[in-house]
Amino acid sequence: MTNSSTYDVVVIGGGHNGLAAAATLAKKGKSVCVIEKSDAMGGMARNVAMGEGVSAPQIAHLLHNLNPKVAKELGLGDLLKGSPLPTTSLSADGNHVVVEGAMVRFADGTTHPDVNAYAKQTAQLRKFAGLLGQLSTKSPPKLDGGLTSMAALGELAGLAKLGLNVKMMGKKDMREFLRVVLTNVYDLVLDEMPDGPLAGMICADAVRGNYVGPRSPGTVFNLMYRLGTGGEVRMPKGGMGAVARAFEAAATKAGCDLRTGSGVARVNVEADKVTGIVLEDGTEIATRAVLSSAAPMATMKMAGIEHFDVEAARRIKNMRCKGTVAKLNLVLKSAPQIEGLSAAQMAGRLLIAPSAETVERSFNPVKYNELPTAPVVEAVIPTLSDPELASGGRHILSAVIQHVPHTPTGGWNDANRQQVIDTVVAQLEAHMPGLSSTIEEAQLLTPSDIEDLTGAPGGHWHHAEMGVDQILTVRPVNGLAHYRFAVGGLYLCGAAAHPGGDVTGVPGRNSAMQLLKDGVLS
Amino acid sequence: MTKAATKQAVPIGVIPTPLYDRMEAISTAKSWANWAGFISPLVLDTVEFEYFAIRNQSTLFDICPMHKYRIKGPDALKVVNRLVTRDVSKLRDGRVGYAMWCDEEGMLIDDGTVFRYSETEFMLCCQETMYSWLLDTAWGFDAEIIDDSHTVAGVSLQGPTTFSLLKDAGLDAVEDMKPFDLREIEPGLWVSRTGFTGDLGYELWTAWNDIGALWDRLWAAGGHWGLRAIGAEALNMVRIEAGFIAAGVDFQPVHAAMRLNRGRSPLELGFDKLVHFEKGHFNGRRALLKQQQDGVRYHLAKIDIGGFKPADGSLIYHRKKREVGHVTSGIWSPTMKQNIALAELKAPYGKAITDDLWVEIYVSEEGQWDKRIVPLTFVDKPFFQNARSRATPPNPF
Repeated sequence: MTNSSTYDVVVIGGGHNGLAAAATLAKKGKSVCVIEKSDAMGGMARNVAMGEGVSAPQIAHLLHNLNPKVAKELGLGDLLKGSPLPTTSLSADGNHVVVEGAMVRFADGTTHPDVNAYAKQTAQLRKFAGLLGQLSTKSPPKLDGGLTSMAALGELAGLAKLGLNVKMMGKKDMREFLRVVLTNVYDLVLDEMPDGPLAGMICADAVRGNYVGPRSPGTVFNLMYRLGTGGEVRMPKGGMGAVARAFEAAATKAGCDLRTGSGVARVNVEADKVTGIVLEDGTEIATRAVLSSAAPMATMKMAGIEHFDVEAARRIKNMRCKGTVAKLNLVLKSAPQIEGLSAAQMAGRLLIAPSAETVERSFNPVKYNELPTAPVVEAVIPTLSDPELASGGRHILSAVIQHVPHTPTGGWNDANRQQVIDTVVAQLEAHMPGLSSTIEEAQLLTPSDIEDLTGAPGGHWHHAEMGVDQILTVRPVNGLAHYRFAVGGLYLCGAAAHPGGDVTGVPGRNSAMQLLKDGVLS
Repeated sequence: MTKAATKQAVPIGVIPTPLYDRMEAISTAKSWANWAGFISPLVLDTVEFEYFAIRNQSTLFDICPMHKYRIKGPDALKVVNRLVTRDVSKLRDGRVGYAMWCDEEGMLIDDGTVFRYSETEFMLCCQETMYSWLLDTAWGFDAEIIDDSHTVAGVSLQGPTTFSLLKDAGLDAVEDMKPFDLREIEPGLWVSRTGFTGDLGYELWTAWNDIGALWDRLWAAGGHWGLRAIGAEALNMVRIEAGFIAAGVDFQPVHAAMRLNRGRSPLELGFDKLVHFEKGHFNGRRALLKQQQDGVRYHLAKIDIGGFKPADGSLIYHRKKREVGHVTSGIWSPTMKQNIALAELKAPYGKAITDDLWVEIYVSEEGQWDKRIVPLTFVDKPFFQNARSRATPPNPF
């Protein structure tokens, strides 16, 4: 079937970044078509039906770091209404630790002995993070060209400002920034407080989605970077599905055409410029620009490796993107209870990361492609905030399991999938007595499943490991950091581009802005 | 016997080529150098005899140390065209092309010759090791890279009497071969009408173990034609006369350069005609296109220098004041009776500004040093050009 139509821009992938890019461009009067391979928009932010009347967050279950600028530009302000969720780091002895912003308490309201240490450290990391955060809504600074061209000078201003701001902090802070920026979060945290649920929480957040443990170098940077792009988590009404729908609605309202059910087989290139795309079903669409939220490797293959320099292809091939996160959804007959937690705390973010050491140990098995025995678990029960997500008084427990191998030795089968489910349920049941007897259905997505569902390489949460070697000017890879993806009119707009993962919408928005700035469409 | 003892040990130090024993036997100079790990002659007898043999007789030079890579498979043409700047799809089967290849910044990695056997089989012949780069270039394509450096051996037979010599050696099938033709004239013996001398000449390629017999066969036919084995020093003189550039001398192969900005682009080396922008993407194309628009930083030029003192390494001045470049290769040419050189000048010198340029040459006169400031003029064509080098069939002697 050939059905030729013409757009200014085709966006590959209908995840939130693809939709953010599309909406941004359509608002500027460009004709935009979004191509989504699966049958619905939303990518990792989608809800999935689990039987009759249950709508569970398929992959992501919390809104991390949605950028306020993106929210404002695309009219997504509703998603940021209400306060961020409290996080409860569960403790075997029942002394659960609750964190809300900079405040740390025990669940019963009593003072936590490390409240000051935590507040001080977080404030400092946030201050440092602020330096990085301001870079995220800009295209990453460009370092080639040196000081000889005005264009390069303009680019350098962003980085110069970072350097200047580091100096402006004063000698003491500057030294501290430089001391900690490349170190590991384990040492940083345990310098300030004894090991326990609070240290565990900080470490778990520093490694989230990545192939690292808290003792891995660079994890302080990861934590800062996360804080720099927001650091808050929210549960919008309607769950994550509402996030996907809001981005979709923004794109539709801006006038984008959205197509589902057939992916992009090929990006056509003539004379080093994008001329159109061909869908898997044979449909041809002419366009002057393609913004791809697919992974760099997949995008490169769509356009043809021959259009990329050997070095670029090599770097893309060698990108680090080993997924370590699995997702478990449980449909429950009744709401689980944790002794000593308030209703608001139960509806918040629940963490099983009882110490920094357990987080490090959670990373061990994945290194050897082994199944987890005590993984870090981040659980939410969205039905406590929005009962409409499950009918008949049932509840959904959504758990993100950190440190599950992409493919365990011998591959995935029913038995080892069940073993992961049993392990996590047992961990939860230690805090939620009787949980297993209320489970109606359990659905596990391994990193391998996530890769199959979304195309994210390795099933990686952020499409590519967030690490000092793969961020800012070197995200996704050295030489391709400005969304421009080698071929004229071809851009990256997904989590593999600056500033990276989480549901920020920034890569999509920035990529669209870069396209407009480059004048491809004028 | 232990397992280790059954394995051949990796040789330590420089190793002989299959022709080393033959050259050793006739070498009086005993002047050897390390070429890609092989023992290679700088001079076998005297450089003067060897130089004049290239220009007047026949010479044999051992080119076994050259790196040779086979690119084979359905996508071989795509891979080679992705590698080099020229359009190899326009090279016919059975032809050889001089080619350059660049990194992503358009800086020269190396230059060499591409042998096109067919659309699905090529051989790349070059100075630098290129295996891993070729593997990277071929990644994602249906083509195999085979390192033939130690399986394909070669000799370079150069000089005005070489065709006559080949006839006497029973290889008169080369008669109608034009410059840059490639042919299998006997089973397992490939001949290309190529060389590094700018004169009539051939390169003969055969299996590593057969090269000795080939040398003997040429040697047996060579007496009448003044055949001489030569070393790299004489070859260096004729290649400068021919205007050919040498890796590591006139440009620094960018993968081997450790300092920033030591790389040079084909445009800066004056090889614009070998950069085929219209053929589609090739490595470094975007960077080269940008450089073409923004302007090059250097010009490599052929220059004729006043006086007769060789100017190798000399600095070049504009108005005798401002330093604007240096000589990369310079000799007194015995054939042209000219003081010739290749020189690198900072743009716009060498293209837009060609007047009032001076070479500063230091000369030692029996221990007393003197400085000569001599004018230079630019030369467009190769210093040495002779109709015999292109005549087909070649003139007999």
